[in-house]
Amino acid sequence: MNPFRWLWTYLRKHRFLLILAFFLVILFTILNLIPPYIAGVIVDRVIIGGEMEFFWRLIIAIVAATMVKSAARFLYRLTFERISQDVVYNVRMNIYQKLQELDFSFFDRTRTGDLMTRMSGDADAVRHFISWVAFSLVENIVIFLLSLAILFAINAQLALALLLWTPLIGFFALRLSVAVKPTFFAIREQLSRLNSVVQENISGNRVVKAFAREEHEITKFYRENDNYKQENLKAVQVWSKYLPLIDTASNGLTVVLLLVGGLMVMQERLTLGELVMFNNYLWTLSNPLRYLGWLINDLQRFVAGATKIINLLTEKPRIKNGENPRQKESLAGKVEFSDVSFTLEGHAILREISFTAHPGQTIALVGPTGAGKSTIVNLICRFYDCTTGEILIDGIPIKELDLAFLRANIAGAMQDIFLFSDTIEGNIAFGVPEASFDEVQQAARIAGAHEFITRMPEGYDTIVGERGVGLSGGQRQRIALARALIKDPAILILDDTTSSVDLETEHAIQKNLRSFYKQKTIFIIAHRISAVRNADLILVLKDGRIIEVGKHEELIAKNGYYSTVFKNQYGDFDAELMKEAK
Amino acid sequence: MARNKYDVDEELDIEFNFDQVRRLLKYIKPYKKRLFLTVIVMLVASFTAFTGPYLIKIALDEAIPKRDLSQLILLTLLYIGTLLINALGLRYRLSSTAEMGQSIIQNLRRDLFTHLQRLPFAFYDSRPHGKILVRVVNYINTLSDLLSNGLINLITDLFTLMIIAFFMLLLDLRLALISLAGLPVLFAALFLLKNIQRRLWQKVSRKQSNMNAYVHESINGMKVTQSFAREKENFATFATINQSYRQAWMKAIISLILVNPIAENLSVLVIAAVYLAGVAWLNQGISVGVLIAFLSYISSFWLPIFNLTNFYNSLINAAAYIERIFETMDEKPSVADAPDAKLMPPIRGQIEFVDVCFAYEEGQEVLHNVSFQVNPGETIALVGPTGAGKTTIVNLISRFYDVTSGKVLIDGIDLREVTLQSLRSQMGVMLQDTFIFSGTIIDNIRYSRLDASDEEVIAAARAVCAHDFIVNMEKGYYTEVNERGSRLSVGERQLISFARALLADPRILILDEATSSIDTETELLVQQGLAKLLVNRTSFIIAHRLSTIKNADRIMYIDDGGIVEAGTHETLMNKKGAYYRLYMSQYQFLRAI
Repeated sequence: MNPFRWLWTYLRKHRFLLILAFFLVILFTILNLIPPYIAGVIVDRVIIGGEMEFFWRLIIAIVAATMVKSAARFLYRLTFERISQDVVYNVRMNIYQKLQELDFSFFDRTRTGDLMTRMSGDADAVRHFISWVAFSLVENIVIFLLSLAILFAINAQLALALLLWTPLIGFFALRLSVAVKPTFFAIREQLSRLNSVVQENISGNRVVKAFAREEHEITKFYRENDNYKQENLKAVQVWSKYLPLIDTASNGLTVVLLLVGGLMVMQERLTLGELVMFNNYLWTLSNPLRYLGWLINDLQRFVAGATKIINLLTEKPRIKNGENPRQKESLAGKVEFSDVSFTLEGHAILREISFTAHPGQTIALVGPTGAGKSTIVNLICRFYDCTTGEILIDGIPIKELDLAFLRANIAGAMQDIFLFSDTIEGNIAFGVPEASFDEVQQAARIAGAHEFITRMPEGYDTIVGERGVGLSGGQRQRIALARALIKDPAILILDDTTSSVDLETEHAIQKNLRSFYKQKTIFIIAHRISAVRNADLILVLKDGRIIEVGKHEELIAKNGYYSTVFKNQYGDFDAELMKEAK
Repeated sequence: MARNKYDVDEELDIEFNFDQVRRLLKYIKPYKKRLFLTVIVMLVASFTAFTGPYLIKIALDEAIPKRDLSQLILLTLLYIGTLLINALGLRYRLSSTAEMGQSIIQNLRRDLFTHLQRLPFAFYDSRPHGKILVRVVNYINTLSDLLSNGLINLITDLFTLMIIAFFMLLLDLRLALISLAGLPVLFAALFLLKNIQRRLWQKVSRKQSNMNAYVHESINGMKVTQSFAREKENFATFATINQSYRQAWMKAIISLILVNPIAENLSVLVIAAVYLAGVAWLNQGISVGVLIAFLSYISSFWLPIFNLTNFYNSLINAAAYIERIFETMDEKPSVADAPDAKLMPPIRGQIEFVDVCFAYEEGQEVLHNVSFQVNPGETIALVGPTGAGKTTIVNLISRFYDVTSGKVLIDGIDLREVTLQSLRSQMGVMLQDTFIFSGTIIDNIRYSRLDASDEEVIAAARAVCAHDFIVNMEKGYYTEVNERGSRLSVGERQLISFARALLADPRILILDEATSSIDTETELLVQQGLAKLLVNRTSFIIAHRLSTIKNADRIMYIDDGGIVEAGTHETLMNKKGAYYRLYMSQYQFLRAI
């Protein structure tokens, strides 16, 4: 999409205000020409000519013109600022909205720093364009046209001669425009990269310190920091080549004036007085042209930033509602996988998975690291779409369900726990912001978190750092669990949620879940047998396939993977207990 | 810990002051020669620019009326000469100011970033990361123009102003005094506005910081937001934040664009006064020629003043960012090398805690009077309920925090006496919170020892059973992973950071829940591989899975900030204390569920 057409979609609603503002710009531009003119009149007629009767009126006119023009300028600058802020506000809202629509696979391949740049630096280029470049452009065009009109009125031939000179300036301006464009794109890109390096360094500060890698990080940063400078200087190289050319070519108008005008006077096709007048007004013609180069720079800067934003805004989420998304009163929680396969970047993650989970059942997923356990729950939440096969929830194909409805009825405590820098209460109530404090406490109790929270000096009002820094792994897991529980979902997913919790607490949580959530479908991913033993159905995954299915006893009897895991974890107990018994 | 969050404005410790201006000037100092040269070039260029109109005047007054074509051509050539000088001057100025401005912000950003590397965990834990990021990237970027173009203009404008003022004084004292009388009024107005502007811009910087924090967190937490279908609420929150930024901006910008009309109207009043006085005093000590000359000066007198006013305005604006940048640079690292810190000699691995007390925050002790001793090569397992202080103990060994009282010794040397670099480079720590950098897998593992060969990296990966899944990825070790490794499962991430910790060939290895998300079979294999590697290394293992820790040389049961009991698995089992209960409970739970 063309950046200007795109911008117009935001500016449209302000079009009347814009017209008014541009009118003020024109008013200002005209008024701007008056004080120098009056000053000339005062010198000629009052000071030299001694015509005192005009004097007071001229003084008042000069003051009045300045006051009106400064008021006009203040008003239109204010208007452009207001409009630009409104546009940028909406651009930001749209970016934010878009980010919320985009699916996991987008975030898997996009750096946070890049997205941050869209919101800050790139949005600012748009702001600058409206609040400064747009009216400067009009200002200069108006001055240029106005002065052209005046010059033509004085002498058309000479004015034409000057006008014939301007294509040269236009040529340089065009060259600048073409040459500078890629440099601005490169600057934007490098800013993104710089942003990403710093962002990662801040997020990963613990690892940096743990390995005493500060020097390495600094070197890495220096490289990007220096590249950023170099990219900026490349742009400067381009414009330090063309801006003087444009400047000189604009001043070259004077040369044309002297030679052509001089000859015309010599040939008596022009009076000397007319030539002097031409000379007095020439700056109004050359100044806008001199300014052209700068405006082109700003224009291209806008184009680079806007293009980046447009690219983001036109990014299509692969996961979205179908034509007629279906909703129900409520979801019972039956989950069916039939022949589901999932391939990511050419790699088969899941192959031909089939199972059915009924409301009230607990389904456990076990298996080695990377077997595809988390992928199954990601597919249930429709964070990704399966490649082949079908997933049905309450008998409805998942792709036909309304996405918001689906996710409102599923809650999970995911493996990779993210807490927000908010109070513990705010974090637990994340999915249900209107939840009462009692409900928050209740959820925390079930999740086995209430006790440690109340032991903190500020209790539920304790602010946790981004990602939950300051809390231990087990504490984070329990808060994430409470956050899932408070949603009271039909389907509850616990992805490795109690791995860092001590056994006693884990046991208590298990007991609570059992008594509170009789009618829910619960998916549990865990490595500890203690966490999955009582599931109604245990799926053992390996390399993306289900290799064993059944209840605990059945699987033990099978003497397969599951029973090996069981022996690894519990086999010693029996020996131990035998010793005890002796 | 007093933590800041996205919707809480940050407090400001030190306001912008003269001292900060001086510090800023320090950044300009290395470029003073270039600055000086640029100013000279600009003065020369503007001098030649002055001669341009003079040449035109001669042409109009002499050459053309006299129809002297050769003189006209000569004058034109001379004029072209001034244009060329002007063009060269402009070219030099453009590239040199850009070079200067970019170098200055490069250095400023470098110093800020370098300082950030010295700041301890506590700094990063106490505020949203987006608020740190905005300082390093966005705030500093706003300064580039001010510190290059702004500065050069400042100097040349001051020059021009002085020269013009000098000529005005020379021409006529009375008229000059009238002209100058406008300045105190302008200064007074600017000064009055300043305090308002400062508050307004500070607010803008805070709101910008808040917005950045929220956006940063929103992006990182987007998966959670989507899975909780909380988009609407977040959108509303963002609207509020976005709106308050816009409001703050509008208020500040009004105070900024208000300055121009003030200065302009003041100037026209002064100019009018000069006209009136000049005409009134005409032939009373002021000749027509003097008056005309004076009037031509007065319009060029106000131009640099407008420019200076604008510079001052940008400075007031920038102050809101400068004070934040320096505030961060002044942040004292709470854990830092002592002035006379020595290098930690090669570690043998003897560790001793002597009466260690520790509190993250005053008055809330996490560890009290912990004392223990570990022999070189020993494997110590720490067990106990969450929040008991296990992680705190291992954090003290790496000196991520300093003890509140007591001391931690490695090989008999107090940790506070050695440099952090020499200490930490001999340790391999695998944190509870794994972090994967964007880049290839091999680079991620190599992070702990940058000069490790590919073979060594692969050996480390094999030892932790990560090799198989890595070679199965499309480009094996050279597969690009994203920041935080979003493509990898948590277990895979743990294995990679595990390999990273091993590759460091550390004298002391610390595994803080290193294997919580790894399946038991893999874990068993990892342990077998590890057993060979752990010979002669002191290691600490924190885990909840008892199978992980049973084989440790010594198990310490931590609860309520102290060691409740310690010993081998057998001794502790025989003791029938806390560990025994913990161990037996695992079995009971299995039965009970």
